[in-house]
Amino acid sequence: MSVTRREFVKLVTSSGIVLSLSRLSDAAEPTFRTRETLPGSAAFNPSAMGKGRVDGMAKVTGAKLYASDFRAADLPGWPAATSHALLLRANDATRRYEGLDLSKLEPGMRPTVVVTEADVKRAGIRVPDFYKGDLFCPVGTTPIYLGQPVALLIFETFDAYDRARVVLRDNPPYKFGATTGPAVLPPYGSNRFTRVAGATAEAPDVFSPLLAGWASPIGYKKAEIPLWAQAKQRGNTNARATFYGEEIRAELAKADPRTLVLDRNFTTQSIDPMFLEPESGIAWYDAGKKALEIVIGVQSPGEAGETLADLFGEARGAFKPAQINAHFAYIGGGFGGRDHTPLPMYVALAAMFYPGHAVRLAHDRYQQFQGGIKRHAFKMRTVMSFDRASGKMRAMAADHQLDGGGLANFSINVADVAAGSATGIYDVPKADITTVAVHSRGVTAGSMRGYGTLQAMTALEVLVDEAATQLKIDPIELRRRNALPTNGRTNFGNTYEGVVRTPEILDKLEAHAIWRDRAAEKGKASSGWAVGTGVACVTKDFGTGADCTLARVEIAPDGTISIDSDVVEMGTAIGTALANRAAYSLGAVSTRVSVARTDAYDALGLVKSYDPYTITQAQQDVAARNPRWVPEISSPSSASVGAHIGTHGANEAARILFRYGLWPAALDLWGLAHSDPRAQQWAKAKWAGGKLTFPALPPLALADVAAKAHARKGVTGVMVHGFNRWAWASATFSIDGDAWTADIDALAVRRGGGEFIRLNRRAVKFPPTVFNRFSTAYTAAAGSLVRVEIERATGNLRIAKAYTVVECGSVLVPEAVEGQMEGAFAMAVGYTLLENLPLYEDGPGNGRWNLGQYVLARASDVPAGTLDTEILPPLRPDDHPKGMAEVVMIPVVPAILAAINDAIGKRFDTLPVTPSMLKGATA
Amino acid sequence: MTSFTIKINGKTHGPTEVRDDLSMNDYLREYLGMTGTKFGCGAAQCLACAVIVDDPDGTSRTSPTCVVPAIAFNGQSIRTVEGHAKDGELSELQRAFVTHFSFQCGYCTAGFVNEGQVLLERLAKQPIARGDLDKTIQDSLNGHICRCTGYVKYHEAIRDVVLANDQRYLTKA
Repeated sequence: MSVTRREFVKLVTSSGIVLSLSRLSDAAEPTFRTRETLPGSAAFNPSAMGKGRVDGMAKVTGAKLYASDFRAADLPGWPAATSHALLLRANDATRRYEGLDLSKLEPGMRPTVVVTEADVKRAGIRVPDFYKGDLFCPVGTTPIYLGQPVALLIFETFDAYDRARVVLRDNPPYKFGATTGPAVLPPYGSNRFTRVAGATAEAPDVFSPLLAGWASPIGYKKAEIPLWAQAKQRGNTNARATFYGEEIRAELAKADPRTLVLDRNFTTQSIDPMFLEPESGIAWYDAGKKALEIVIGVQSPGEAGETLADLFGEARGAFKPAQINAHFAYIGGGFGGRDHTPLPMYVALAAMFYPGHAVRLAHDRYQQFQGGIKRHAFKMRTVMSFDRASGKMRAMAADHQLDGGGLANFSINVADVAAGSATGIYDVPKADITTVAVHSRGVTAGSMRGYGTLQAMTALEVLVDEAATQLKIDPIELRRRNALPTNGRTNFGNTYEGVVRTPEILDKLEAHAIWRDRAAEKGKASSGWAVGTGVACVTKDFGTGADCTLARVEIAPDGTISIDSDVVEMGTAIGTALANRAAYSLGAVSTRVSVARTDAYDALGLVKSYDPYTITQAQQDVAARNPRWVPEISSPSSASVGAHIGTHGANEAARILFRYGLWPAALDLWGLAHSDPRAQQWAKAKWAGGKLTFPALPPLALADVAAKAHARKGVTGVMVHGFNRWAWASATFSIDGDAWTADIDALAVRRGGGEFIRLNRRAVKFPPTVFNRFSTAYTAAAGSLVRVEIERATGNLRIAKAYTVVECGSVLVPEAVEGQMEGAFAMAVGYTLLENLPLYEDGPGNGRWNLGQYVLARASDVPAGTLDTEILPPLRPDDHPKGMAEVVMIPVVPAILAAINDAIGKRFDTLPVTPSMLKGATA
Repeated sequence: MTSFTIKINGKTHGPTEVRDDLSMNDYLREYLGMTGTKFGCGAAQCLACAVIVDDPDGTSRTSPTCVVPAIAFNGQSIRTVEGHAKDGELSELQRAFVTHFSFQCGYCTAGFVNEGQVLLERLAKQPIARGDLDKTIQDSLNGHICRCTGYVKYHEAIRDVVLANDQRYLTKA
């Protein structure tokens, strides 16, 4: 079965709804493009010279960019007026919900429409699988989580909405009846990852997730404790995992004077991504055309569109659009929290229940705390053994429990990724990691920067730091002795792609003045102050194992370049990275970069079928015979995929555009026959100062080359798709008589001013499906040093000095990488010392949380000049870029904790560490 | 309902009848469509909503708009992020923010532009010693929240603007 993207949606929904996903600018506001793209479109244009962001001009002048900026009047063709919706959420998940009391609303502040679960059911609206659970709490049942929506109120005017919002916040309108206690629901999932290495580094593993598959429990006790299969050495995957896991645990429990065994617990808190733009959207249902128009800002445009089509797929006539036109805006921060977020469903519902009106649904900050995706709170127990003589790690067992809150969202995926990171940078020959993600009445947790690895590696690094103390081995030296080497196997049994650069990171940490001077600085502590220095080193995956890149690169006769990409700009400067990466081949920074575009590639005619994570090899082999088929078409901008995955398509397209468009044009301009031997030496050509250079030939201006390419009907536009499952799919295409093999699986080209024409691939190779058993193959390493000063009388802590070093392959936008390191440092300081959300009744689900109670790092917490950053140069000029936005946050947390211990001799095993805890420890 | 008049970026708006409890942020964003001024928290904690108030005595200050009623600005003159660039030319500070990669998602940027501009104008009138500059910048920015950047490149951009024209902003050593 092979279907197009649109047909896929039809099949998913059995609905016939046509889904259109487009960049807001192109679909809705003609002038938007000129404001969102800086180069070539404004007088001040530093990014054209490689200095500045492509979106810099728009952002610094307050242009309308974000979903929250748009009202109906801004959107051509929409109704003139904007109505406003208010999503009411339960503030109690222990009593039966019995309906709303809106009597506090005076005339003039009453809603025009009230939408409840009963209305949604009557309309035949269904819940997409990923968001399984009632869209609204039905009357007569206990909300399954704090913050579960109970009703959507729609107001004709802003004033009515605004007044009602405040009244209902101060006077919660919910009627609750009998106390039932919280809902008890089964866990979202659980897995076991057990690996026993062979006798030598070269020998095959005895058992691993890669060899045997991922193990899962046979049931649960008390809805939170996984029950594992009976141990059998020759049983199925589950039984064998239990067998080897129990062997490892028995070894750890055995008293052996030659071995140091540490058995430690660590708990982490729930926090909010706290992206600064609360979630919002605006939608309009044109009943005459049966078209739903919606403007939203998410990290996962493709998913959001398909979710909406699924939502209305079986709805009754009046609630079933024939077409959904989803428009995607810039987002004011994401950090994972806008990946697979439920809010777009409620924006769409608001429009469908008030047809003919443009309806805006926007969280205020209280509502964002109450309803936005959170970082998982973890409870972890880790047992690890070290050989006392050598310091080498022998075995490890860890059990992770994640509080997933009210809906499943990504909980089990976060648990699995955390397990994949549980051995950190280390070569641990025996590891048994169990995970369970449980339901609770807390606010739903999901994706957030670090995605479980922050929690797991913090616990690990804290334990390793203690081991170094007990073994009397320098903490960096202990890490060096145990660091996983290149081609060493992870705890899932696979190897990492490329060179493992942890040793270089450790060398940098060891050589830094913060580390060298740690004893002297400790000795110089002022009276009443304690000074300590800590270190940590981690490695973090990037990618998800089913990542896609879509790109379209074109050059005009005047040499101006335009790029379209499906990657989403969250603030990471991905638009600038796209422009810079394509510039390697094209000699100039793009004059137009349009991100979050999933609708510009129809010429590729892509089709998909199956789930890319669960597809079998046989299914893939058959499906791949269709030259239009790919395992997935578009994927979210998450998991630090921007630099590696997101820009890959633009890079591949630019290479083809150069090779088959600009290069032949240059040969013509130089007067070289295409049979001249130099005609095949295109790789020797270099761009310098906007001109194409080649030994002993005159430089050519880009505009001249581009004009010639158009005149000779050469390739002037290239459209590609790529798929990555821990390796790129590759294929061969015939272009101008050549066989061009590249890491793409679909290609279309345009010649001169013509239309894009699809080229059939051959010899396609998709990464084998067994790669789905990896946790990751792509990883970047980072290390941090932190020196803290703690005032003993108050427990106040100052970060005196810090250093973070990262290796991330080729750097596309150095300032953006530095910015990520600086921002990650501030976020890590907040996570370690400041941020905390109680999980249940006292937490954000009660609707009373805002900044003020929730404390973030401010400029004074991370003074300029505190943090030194260093980016290791790539090993080779053609090293691909690596995702680094997450990894640079992680080592800061355990490094702070190690520094605290160095200062006051206390190892904290729970976060955040507050001044009162520090004061108590120093008393 | 109360009638009020305000000058925004040099242009007079009103008199307009508005609810007494209508926030200035909502007046800008919902009534005037001026969404350059952002809404972040509604509690005056993040200052993404900050605008510049030009007081009659010739001084300027920033003010949150999310918790302050629109009518509290009656008769006042304010500047928003949309008003800094003149004829398409960015202000010196805006240029510095762009070239320093000061912001990432950019949602907090309007507040930082306004706060930084007020600081520069204050320093132009009341220069400070070079040794006090970093602390002064830090204190100025400390009311603002940026979740993306760690504040470093905002700080450095302002500092570089000051140092590029130290005769204007700094006292002689």
